[in-house]
Amino acid sequence: MKNNIIILGGGQAAIYAAREVRKNDTDSNIKILSEENLLPYERPPLSKDFLLNKKNEDDLYFHSSDVLKNENIDFENVLINKVDFENKKLFTKNDDVYSYNSLLISTGSENKKLSLDKNLNDDIYYLRNLEEAKTIKEKISNKNKITIIGGGFIGLEIASSISQLKKKVTVIEIGNQLMGRIIPKQIADLVQKTHIEHGNDIILNKQIEKISKKNDIYEILLNDNSLIETEFIIAGIGSTPSIKLFENTNLKLDNGIVTNQYCETSIKDVYAAGDVSNFYHPLYERNIRLESYQHAQNHGICAGKNIAGVKTEYSSVPWMWSDQFNLNLQLTGICDDYDEMVERGNNINNGVIYFFLKNKIIKGACGLGIVGKVGRDIRITSKLSEKNTIVDTQILSDETQKLNKLIQK
Amino acid sequence: MSEENWIEVGSTDSIEEEDLIRFDHQDKTFCVYRLTDGFYATDGMCTHETVHLEDGLVMDDEIECPMHQGIFNIKSGEALSPPACEDLKTYPVKVDNDKIFIKID
Ligand SMILES: Cc1cc2nc3c(=O)[nH]c(=O)nc-3n(C[C@H](O)[C@H](O)[C@H](O)COP(=O)(O)OP(=O)(O)OC[C@H]3O[C@@H](n4cnc5c(N)ncnc54)[C@H](O)[C@@H]3O)c2cc1C
Ligand code: FES
Repeated sequence: MKNNIIILGGGQAAIYAAREVRKNDTDSNIKILSEENLLPYERPPLSKDFLLNKKNEDDLYFHSSDVLKNENIDFENVLINKVDFENKKLFTKNDDVYSYNSLLISTGSENKKLSLDKNLNDDIYYLRNLEEAKTIKEKISNKNKITIIGGGFIGLEIASSISQLKKKVTVIEIGNQLMGRIIPKQIADLVQKTHIEHGNDIILNKQIEKISKKNDIYEILLNDNSLIETEFIIAGIGSTPSIKLFENTNLKLDNGIVTNQYCETSIKDVYAAGDVSNFYHPLYERNIRLESYQHAQNHGICAGKNIAGVKTEYSSVPWMWSDQFNLNLQLTGICDDYDEMVERGNNINNGVIYFFLKNKIIKGACGLGIVGKVGRDIRITSKLSEKNTIVDTQILSDETQKLNKLIQK
Repeated sequence: MSEENWIEVGSTDSIEEEDLIRFDHQDKTFCVYRLTDGFYATDGMCTHETVHLEDGLVMDDEIECPMHQGIFNIKSGEALSPPACEDLKTYPVKVDNDKIFIKID
């Protein structure tokens, strides 16, 4: 009997894991089970170039079906709704059974939903997958006033795209700055300024009391009694790991599926990777959960190696980006554990970076600049933090000095 | 091939080792690199989105795009890491009397 490897969830981590298993194991059966009837595709363009009509569906797929066929990777469109870890089986609603020897869980994350009047649930749109992106694109085509609830990365990217489609956008954020506290206030303010310059209204520090619908217009009542009239509402209020399926099982859960540095879960032969996993990171000596493109790719690859028996530790330095208007924001490492903050640059045309250090070692950094201006320095920062290099903060803060100087060869 | 296809970029000391410069010629833009074993040239714009690679990081034989960390091999132009998946065009380079020339077709 051949070894059966099942990958549950057919997103980015899944496809990288599947191909990596195949690289190291030519024998086993590999099957990806996916709720979405689409080959694995990139999500970042959904809130950006896809909405802007600069990319179409065909541009989003990681690989064609030929690549999967050539590598003998099965892809099946099916929703799994029960797991039996003891007997190593997965079930669908109709009791179709899938047996595995090794299982990778890469079910990603799902959007948090607003808890408002139930009658309006279908009137509020969310963005996570291609279907939803298509719906939003179609529905907004004849609308002019659009409101985004939530000023996080995805909400702001949608706001940027829709504004470029020449529509009036209002963003309502409950916190006192955009993109949450992890982003330095100075950078959040620069992003806010850019949105406002492009005509978007940004409302901070306000809670939604009520949404009501009159004819085809929605009225959003805020806690200061102000009223916003809008034709279409999109909410981007954060996400949670997709773990409902495992809630009454022995699988250890804590803000996602708890894994070690080898992508192994608390159950033998069960692995987890990507958005769904809360993994132990050896560099930070604690568990972290990330929702990022680079992580889904590299974590998937690492899981693939471990499943194929090539024991590999995962220690990539976290990195993610967000593109809004002509700005590119990048975040590396962890930015919530520091004793010193150093600023480099003060102008988005050349890039602005905030470094977070502990004991003179960079733990993380956040940069913002017009396209391309912060990438190199952020990348160098990742390398420095990966090697725990003690850095000269004078060089960090002096824009005229190249950061390559800090890399010890 | 005729001589005039070779376009002068500048002097060899205008590029530090493991670094690059941007070179614009007519309506085209290029990156010219100095690696440990010589000079190389590629198209200037990333194949993923319209971002110039001049702000990217040169590491060994690779250029990493500053926008989304797509990676290309500088010598072959091969796209090595997503989101970049389309190869980068490369151009022949020669050095004559401490001057760098690239051949544009
Ligand atoms: C709109 C948007 C924009 C983004 N922009 C950026 C960006 O600019 N930069 C960045 O770094 N990151 C960005 N991200 C994040 C990045 O795309 C994700 O971190 C990445 O896709 C995670 O990969 P994954 O494989 O863990 O999960 P996913 O790609 O989400 O795949 C999970 C899959 O599992 C399926 N699934 C779940 N449960 C089941 C089940 N029971 N049975 C079968 N299938 C199931 C889901 O339907 C889904 O297809 C963005 C995400 C979104 C949604
Ligand atoms: S623009 Fe170069 S990788 Fe995206």
